Amino acid sequence: MSTGTPTIGLLHSLIRKDEKMLLDAFKRFGVKPVMIDDRKLIMDFNSAPQVDILLERSINHSRALHALRLFESAGIRCINTHDVARVCGDKMLTTCALTEHSVPQPRSRVAFTEESAVEAIEELGYPVVLKPAVGSWGRLLSKVNDRDAAESILEHKTVLGSYHHSIFYIQDYVEKAGRDIRTFVIGDECIAAIYRSSEHWITNTARGAVATKCDITPEIAEISLNAAAACGGGVVAVDLFESPAGLLVNEVNYTMEFKNSVDTTGVDIPGKIVEYAIAEAAK
Amino acid sequence: MASCPVCDADVETADDTVVGELMTCDDCGCELEVLSLEPAKLGEAPEAEEDWGE
Repeated sequence: MSTGTPTIGLLHSLIRKDEKMLLDAFKRFGVKPVMIDDRKLIMDFNSAPQVDILLERSINHSRALHALRLFESAGIRCINTHDVARVCGDKMLTTCALTEHSVPQPRSRVAFTEESAVEAIEELGYPVVLKPAVGSWGRLLSKVNDRDAAESILEHKTVLGSYHHSIFYIQDYVEKAGRDIRTFVIGDECIAAIYRSSEHWITNTARGAVATKCDITPEIAEISLNAAAACGGGVVAVDLFESPAGLLVNEVNYTMEFKNSVDTTGVDIPGKIVEYAIAEAAK
Repeated sequence: MASCPVCDADVETADDTVVGELMTCDDCGCELEVLSLEPAKLGEAPEAEEDWGE
């Protein structure tokens, strides 16, 4: 347990607007974080920069994943943990975790060959969405409307992609009326939510979707907290679809971006993250 | 103040600018990264990689 002001490490690469907002929040709380640039980091398997807790904000999933494991191995607690990063950073692992905790989500399949993937797609029924198991910001998503498209996309992924693009993650296409919901969970509280609206079927704000405030209903809070808990908890953003059958969890993000959501919701999301990190550091 | 490495325009840094921060050159629109502060030096920001994201 620490005494006095906690020493909080901030693992980062590029400093985006989100990280600048976090730095501003740290300043408001009177804490100067130890800046740890993952591009300069060298880990020796025995030690790590001496901080009470590490707040992970790397832009690269692979660096975050490995760095978190190494920090934890050196006895440093991390937000989020390596396990949370591992589960949230891989859509297949997220689906496993949500399934194991009975959290509603779109139907999905995983297949390892082009032939079995076509079979899986047709079992779900067109249209479906093909997603790389590891990926973000709506990149390389394919809405597959028919068998011709399925065969073509699967062949392209196999021939042109690296090997992990041949682990085919297939999800039901959910009609979502031009929007989804992004919620922000910190610890055991769902602190804010936005709608992300777009004329495109991909509703990531990184792809131009517009953020507007979403009131947190008990249902939204419950499924968000359940999804976060299923993935290991901490500081996560949960993407929800409003389906005719009710809310479904699409994804859980472990290095959440919030720059478009602070003014929209009126919630000091970076401040809440820093407050949480300080409280965790003191434990 | 620093120079844009792409178009050589002057780019203003602020008191709270930090190393690693992303900036945009108002003249050419390029995304830049702050490489150092004293003296202020900018480089072209890296291209997005496959595992970048949330």
